[in-house]
Amino acid sequence: MNGVRNRRLLFLLGPVAGLAMFAGAVLLASWLYSGEYKEPYRAPAATADVTPRAEGLAAEQAERESQARATPYEEAEYRTFPVVGSRVAIWAVAQLHLLFAAFVLAVPLFAFIIEAIGYKTGDLRYDRLAYEFTKLLSVSFSLTATFGAFLTFMLIILYPKFTNYLMSVFSPTFLPYVLLFFFEAFFLYAYYYGWGKFHPLVHLGLGLGLNLVGTAIMFIANAWLTFMMSPRGISDTGAVLSVWDAVTNYTWMPINVHRVIANVAFGGSIAAAYAAFKFLHAKSDEERAHYDWMGYIGNFVAIIAFLPLPFAGYWLAKEIYAFSQTLGLVMMGGAFSWLFIIQAVLIGNLFLAANYYLWLGMGRVEGVQPLQKYIKYLLIAIALCFMVWATPRSIIATVSELRAMGGSAHPILGFLGVMSAKNTAVNILILTTFMSFLLYRRTGKVATVSWAKTGHAAQLTIFAGAALFVIFLGVYGYFVEATVRIGLSVPQVLSVLFAMVAITAIDVFLFRGARKMEVRWGRIPAISQYVLIFIAVTFTWLMGLMGYVRSGLRQHWHVYGVIRDNSADAFTPTLGFATQVVSATVLLFFLLIGVVFWITSLHDRPDFERRTKGRTPDADGGAQAALARHPGQYVQDEGAPLMRSRTGPIEGLES
Amino acid sequence: MSIPPIVRIAALVLGATGFYTYVGQMVPQKEVLPPEEMTLEADLTTADMVKAGREIMEGKGLCLTCHTIGQTGALRFPDLEGIGARAGSRVAGLSDVEYLAQSMYEPNAFVVDGFPPAMPAVHRPPIGLTDQEILAVIAALQTLGGTPTVTMQTTHGYLAGGAGGAVAP
Repeated sequence: MNGVRNRRLLFLLGPVAGLAMFAGAVLLASWLYSGEYKEPYRAPAATADVTPRAEGLAAEQAERESQARATPYEEAEYRTFPVVGSRVAIWAVAQLHLLFAAFVLAVPLFAFIIEAIGYKTGDLRYDRLAYEFTKLLSVSFSLTATFGAFLTFMLIILYPKFTNYLMSVFSPTFLPYVLLFFFEAFFLYAYYYGWGKFHPLVHLGLGLGLNLVGTAIMFIANAWLTFMMSPRGISDTGAVLSVWDAVTNYTWMPINVHRVIANVAFGGSIAAAYAAFKFLHAKSDEERAHYDWMGYIGNFVAIIAFLPLPFAGYWLAKEIYAFSQTLGLVMMGGAFSWLFIIQAVLIGNLFLAANYYLWLGMGRVEGVQPLQKYIKYLLIAIALCFMVWATPRSIIATVSELRAMGGSAHPILGFLGVMSAKNTAVNILILTTFMSFLLYRRTGKVATVSWAKTGHAAQLTIFAGAALFVIFLGVYGYFVEATVRIGLSVPQVLSVLFAMVAITAIDVFLFRGARKMEVRWGRIPAISQYVLIFIAVTFTWLMGLMGYVRSGLRQHWHVYGVIRDNSADAFTPTLGFATQVVSATVLLFFLLIGVVFWITSLHDRPDFERRTKGRTPDADGGAQAALARHPGQYVQDEGAPLMRSRTGPIEGLES
Repeated sequence: MSIPPIVRIAALVLGATGFYTYVGQMVPQKEVLPPEEMTLEADLTTADMVKAGREIMEGKGLCLTCHTIGQTGALRFPDLEGIGARAGSRVAGLSDVEYLAQSMYEPNAFVVDGFPPAMPAVHRPPIGLTDQEILAVIAALQTLGGTPTVTMQTTHGYLAGGAGGAVAP
């Protein structure tokens, strides 16, 4: 009885939601145009009395019309968005567009890699995992495009003059952009719907095409936004001298690289959050095992991409300084300097959460005990680095406190607020997280090669050597001139990169043919899944914050140093206000991504017809039902989850 | 009663977002307004120029974003304390006014030892100080260890005819 009532309610829900949305759109449009002049009702001429008032109204109308005709057309420079203002409106829409775009660009990247691993190893679990990641793309792609169109219209409406200028500079890039977008849609849908319908190599080719086209689209869009920050190829007055120079401006390639890496980290974290969501709603051990593994892979992708991200950030900052010292100093020493303290809190949380998840994950593997004793040392190192990174150079204090300290910098802690200390902290943080991951990776494995002892000693020596070198350079920075100190960050970064590459290389050979314990996927505390969701929220918030600093850095310029912002929003808001906008956008994003997850999870539901017959849903996502209807198109290894066959066509997928 | 995971997830997302918003409220809150165009009259006294110059250094000129006054230790850019006294002897053949003007119009012509050649020309965008505003900044810099001598009629190598429109006597 309840079921019938629920179905009726669901049936009614569609039209009601449709009507509500229609009414909402009409109300919004009416509100937006409520200030416009409305023609009053007039009786037909034959029945109207010609009174002095009517004659006066007609004369006024004629006067208005003649004035309107006499006024020459003038291009509007700005228009105002109601309530929140133009800047916040553009900000929110641009941020949502970028978050979905980052996800849509990142997921194919690691889905392609995972699919390739599956093809190479013949392990169908990877194929299923890659397909599961790809399932998230379809709805996200539509939302990305919708927000992109929304952003374009908003720019044209709210900032017409500036948008027109930007279009005049970059007009040669628009047609390639649109064409690439067509290709993107073709590759994406062919990749998604063509799963299992082509030879694996052909399908991988589609995935490669999708990634290449997606990356090219991002590179073009990056040219527009980086030009605003570090313009090139134009005269002092803004006249175009070279479109190619405008595209290849100072910050274009650093942003390209930074965004590719950050997108992968962000996409991995959102995919891991999806797996966590599914894990927490799983009904069987098999489902839990699968989504635990998916969450692990998503988080692995996120952390691996996250580790080199600060280095890409260094490069970007270096190019910003190379373009304009003023811009660089506004970023690090001026209005935005405190923003990097907030960033430190976020990144510190990310590192702590990522390490916590890895340590919880060690419980899945037998033989973990010998390594657990090292975790407390890693935790201490991470906590110390976090504290140093979050220490501000100058402290907000009362007059008496400032007098007691002898300035705005604390006599002792103030030394930790400078770049020498912060660079050292972040490098040690990265190195520690890398070691944490290494401990996780070797959990339940025993090296059997003859040189195992030497290998372990070599790894430890490289790790200790790199850490000591980084700390030495950090301390040395306090005793040298600024010109020397600035250059010390490069050997710090290089030594950490060298340590990571060298230790990984040794590890690969060290554990070749190692004795392995069983990994019990799904045997992980539920809190680990909330940690994955926390990581995704933190990544998203971090992207919002860094998006703000990149854009806000221009302050009162549309195009830095060339086209000035003369609108009412030309001021730089407080960091408190900025974080409120970032939070609102992040919440909206998670609301929408929740819808994406829900729509995607409809894939796994058994079809309506079967549910009404009282069957229970299949633990393997309805694949058994599909198998019954399409025999010969699925394969199942003994004891392994049901998988799609690579050899036969599949029709009626995921019913 | 067990709390459904979806409620816990929603609480986690709200809690994490709320925490980061809270952190955002804890840092210093400063709204930065676009620099206002300053009109410096030709009959401004040197004392008024010094006052205007300090305002420009703290605001539109962005000088104090990089330079400190009266600090020592590991500095990224030269400290300005005493610049009024040493400006006249920095570069042979340049008076203090000429040297200070050069350091703003053509900052890389002479770079203090141990510091990077990183200062932008302040008369160009994005800073874009006017000739009069630069004269006011020179007056303010002269007070740091010296006595201000410039007037709106003072000329230097980067200024033909004087900022105030008249040639200096």
